[in-house]
Amino acid sequence: MPPQAQQFLDQLNATLPLEAYLIVGALMFGIGVWGALVRRNAVVVFMCIELMINAVNLTLVAFADYLPNAGGAGVGYAVLVIAVAAAEVAVGLAIALAVYRSRKTVNVDEINLMKG
Amino acid sequence: MVVAFIFLASMTLLCAMGVVLSRNVVHSALFMSGSFLGVAGFFVMLNSPALAAFQVLIYVGAVTVVILFGIMFTQRPQVRRFGSILQRQRWSGFFVAIGVGAFLAYMMGLQNWDYTEPGNGPREVSGLGEILLGVNGAPPIFSLLFEVISILLLVAVIAAIVVSRRKTGEGIDRPGSDREEVSR
Repeated sequence: MPPQAQQFLDQLNATLPLEAYLIVGALMFGIGVWGALVRRNAVVVFMCIELMINAVNLTLVAFADYLPNAGGAGVGYAVLVIAVAAAEVAVGLAIALAVYRSRKTVNVDEINLMKG
Repeated sequence: MVVAFIFLASMTLLCAMGVVLSRNVVHSALFMSGSFLGVAGFFVMLNSPALAAFQVLIYVGAVTVVILFGIMFTQRPQVRRFGSILQRQRWSGFFVAIGVGAFLAYMMGLQNWDYTEPGNGPREVSGLGEILLGVNGAPPIFSLLFEVISILLLVAVIAAIVVSRRKTGEGIDRPGSDREEVSR
């Protein structure tokens, strides 16, 4: 095997730095912010909030695996975040359902009941 | 590792873009489950296979199904132009999101992470259980948080029932609904 190919294979098998996971988490959070700001449908806004929560979870688990003195506590926090997100999506979809029943729409720019 | 990382990162980020940009809401939900699967793959790469199993069970299974039920109850079938799925503040929202993503990525990359190395996570399920119960060197606050989370889930279940309960004489009581047609 030529040394260039061996070097290329070594690069493919190399361990990744922590920044790679952190930047993927940051980009995913940014996409979630974008969707939550620009979409009209309230259900899609919930999906984008779930995306943001998942990005934060990814960051937590990456820190738990990479930081030497963390003791893996970030994984425990990620479990708690998953539970809170499940509660959030249950209550949020119940609110969307109640709003749809009274207003016949879930577009967030048409629901202006609390606008002064 | 690098090949798996590139595959998972592109899957996660492209599916996240699909959630924001697809015109059909059901396609958005399916793209969201694809993105969650990518994050579950990241959890496997980060030495947390138990958390990856939780992710697949809870997010790809339960949350996606709940959101699909929400879509089923709240959407009328309609053909949408692309412009009608976005709000008026689409460009300001786009630039705010670009700013947030770039700022977070910059701040994460600014630190010196040279002293970190992978392999510190609780690969064994027993280690994760000890962390969640706050014993054996884990922060003891976790035992309290674990109980608080269980109460929160109970409260959320009751709240979801109370909020979405259909009161008599409210909401969609269309004349000529299914039951009358059946009896006729």
